[in-house]
Amino acid sequence: MAGDTPMLDDLEKGPWPSFVKEMKRAAKKNKAAEDLVGVVELSYKDKITHWKHGGIVGVTGYGGGVIGRYSDVPEQFPNAEQFHTMRINHPSGWFYNTKSLRTVCDIWEKHGSGLTNFHGSTGDIILLGTKTENLQPAFDEYIEHGFDLGGSGSVLRSPSGCVGPARCEWACFDSLDLIYDLTQSFQDELHRPRWPYKFKIKASACPNDCVAAIARADFTIIGTWRDSLSINQEEVKVYAEKGMNIQKDIVANCPGSALTYDESNGELHVQPEDCVRCMHCINKMSKAIKIGKDRGATILVGGKAPILKGAFLSFVLVPFMKIEPPYTEIKDLLFKIWDWWDEHGRNRERVAETIGRRGFKEFLKGVDLKPVPQMVKHPRTNPFVFF
Amino acid sequence: MSDITSDELKQKILDHLKTVDKTKNRDVAKALDEEKRMVDKAIGELATEGKIEYLYLNGSYITLKK
Amino acid sequence: MKKTDIGPPDFRMMLPDIIKENYGKWQHHEILKPGLMKHVAESGSELYTVRVGSPRLVSIDFIRDICDVADKYCDGFLRFTSRSNVELLVSKKENVEPMIEDIKKLGLPIGGIGDCISNIVHTQGWIHCHSSATDASGLVKAIMDELIEYFTEFKLHAKLRIAVACCINMCGAVHCSDLAIVGIHTKPPKIDNSKLSAVCEIPSTIASCPTGAIHRHPDKNINGLELKEERCMYCGNCYTVCPAMPLADPVGDGVAIYVGGKVSNARKAPMFSKLAVPFIPNNPPRWPEVTSVLKNIVEVYAKNSRKYERMGEWIERVGWERFFSLTGIQFTEQHIDDFSGAMDTLRSTTQFRW
Repeated sequence: MAGDTPMLDDLEKGPWPSFVKEMKRAAKKNKAAEDLVGVVELSYKDKITHWKHGGIVGVTGYGGGVIGRYSDVPEQFPNAEQFHTMRINHPSGWFYNTKSLRTVCDIWEKHGSGLTNFHGSTGDIILLGTKTENLQPAFDEYIEHGFDLGGSGSVLRSPSGCVGPARCEWACFDSLDLIYDLTQSFQDELHRPRWPYKFKIKASACPNDCVAAIARADFTIIGTWRDSLSINQEEVKVYAEKGMNIQKDIVANCPGSALTYDESNGELHVQPEDCVRCMHCINKMSKAIKIGKDRGATILVGGKAPILKGAFLSFVLVPFMKIEPPYTEIKDLLFKIWDWWDEHGRNRERVAETIGRRGFKEFLKGVDLKPVPQMVKHPRTNPFVFF
Repeated sequence: MSDITSDELKQKILDHLKTVDKTKNRDVAKALDEEKRMVDKAIGELATEGKIEYLYLNGSYITLKK
Repeated sequence: MKKTDIGPPDFRMMLPDIIKENYGKWQHHEILKPGLMKHVAESGSELYTVRVGSPRLVSIDFIRDICDVADKYCDGFLRFTSRSNVELLVSKKENVEPMIEDIKKLGLPIGGIGDCISNIVHTQGWIHCHSSATDASGLVKAIMDELIEYFTEFKLHAKLRIAVACCINMCGAVHCSDLAIVGIHTKPPKIDNSKLSAVCEIPSTIASCPTGAIHRHPDKNINGLELKEERCMYCGNCYTVCPAMPLADPVGDGVAIYVGGKVSNARKAPMFSKLAVPFIPNNPPRWPEVTSVLKNIVEVYAKNSRKYERMGEWIERVGWERFFSLTGIQFTEQHIDDFSGAMDTLRSTTQFRW
């Protein structure tokens, strides 16, 4: 029994929707959720977590997709002693029909606590709280209804991408189809760990990078174009008439100094070779300025959070690649990266750390790519050069 | 690199796993001198058959199912 | 053999007709008011998107509630954003306002599109994580209660993205956010050598330490480890590989605040968040010291930034020295980097502000 929970009760107040209300809604129907409220209240009181270090649980045939979790206060809260998580791979772009979504809920009502995250950081649906004995039946039922587990451990984590051409005029490639295709093509890599550590793929279909692919993915796909953006001068005039200060707000903010605005005739012009495709003018003048037509993506590698050798933003590997089905070029590159990393990576070393340790030069050889200046901020400044 | 059937490869992997506490796919491939992708595939099948299992605390490994 | 490896459902089953018909043929979009935008297709079709805040940790009944809304107004389709907002997609303009009323009846806020604070990306915290140094859901709730006007109204010159990670593993990769709140430990692990050799691999635990602070216990009779505490920066990587090295501590745990990161390429290149406040002790349930620091930073930024300037762009323009003087945040020795790459952060120019 959860008993009194004054600390959590306080978090039911206030304008932002309350996770405590949600926990209590689940607690009305489920004993494990009820005991979870008690465990969390205890953490609020003690200022410390009451969850123990993992434990190996899972479903037959897979090496991931389930996170084992045990409480360190089982006597007080026996129904939350085992509180394992299942990760369910989301459909591209997190689009759902309500029938599917209700099915996900119904199965979780039967086999789990009724608590979820829509969604976890990597993109999966996170189902929080079930016992070991329920894992296989829940999994079997999800498979039966067309859903599968996502990744955990040293696997390919569930790829995710932005809304793309489904609802955005700036999509330089079909992020939804690409993510679906890669996810389906690499089911074995996603479910069965074999690598030094995790590997993440994320795709944003333009340089606005709405899914933070550059910060969160070992393999980052960001849409871009090789020709020029296009400008509709009539629409530019409409923006000016509506009070936009085009010189100050648009031209002065252009990082490539590629734009010039002629106030005498109200025309805005671009010097395409100076444009770095940052998206600022396109974002702010969506009706007047359009992305280029020769579209594809820049491929970057190495993004990760700080553990262990520090955080990285992904760095450019292939300045431009066409992204079209059946996506052979991108898959070939992935296999080369995985082979090199699996050969040279140490345990718990992300690909950026292996690259840092062995050198980008060696990595380039390993994946059959030639050095180009787009890969670096600037050439080296020191004279300690290997020939 | 030998030219063996998938059943033979799977048996070789199971025999090898008897000699180690836990290991990784790449080390199995090296120990058996077989192509890594074939070993990956065979290990995946053995997992689905319930003959091996994955350990995933402190890095991921495979081991014979106890 | 059982059926496995089917992958997620095909997203094409999950798209409403208006999206199927105009897939890849959107022409432009406009943000009409906080939480409402309109996309116009080449065909002239109009799609309205209403963005709804969610606590992310939700019951299945919450999901069923929003499914009811989507069934009533959106032909049974909806989506989520990468920041855990719910997006309801409406093809009939006359459905927009009645739907917004229904969403408000559910007690859910509408906003987060455009020059706003969107929903906070966050991790599990005390709900579910063994390595957390703070709670995540509670911090998010407390912060958003304080800052909700920035979600539901346009009060900023640019978007502002907040993330919470409950330890420095940063499952949410918060390290490129305008505001990042990160749970940190400040006490070294307490080694339990009585059970260590039974539950941990000694060599891999030694190898896990990025500063080389862990070594074999000098007493040959103890099959365990010893820690050079002065070398420990509390990253918790040893605890991840060895459960006998817990470092959570009710007094030593709390949060740090990092500012000025971004991932978009618009104007300035993507940038990391940088340390603003090294440590604030945990003070649940509402972490008032954390929320007041954040509110102050947001207000100072809103007042001093220029049009379109993200937090990090504003700070780069005015200089970190003025960030500290304008916000009144104290600059301490913890702000000076001493990890790898630290030398690059020192200032080799006489250009700075007073």
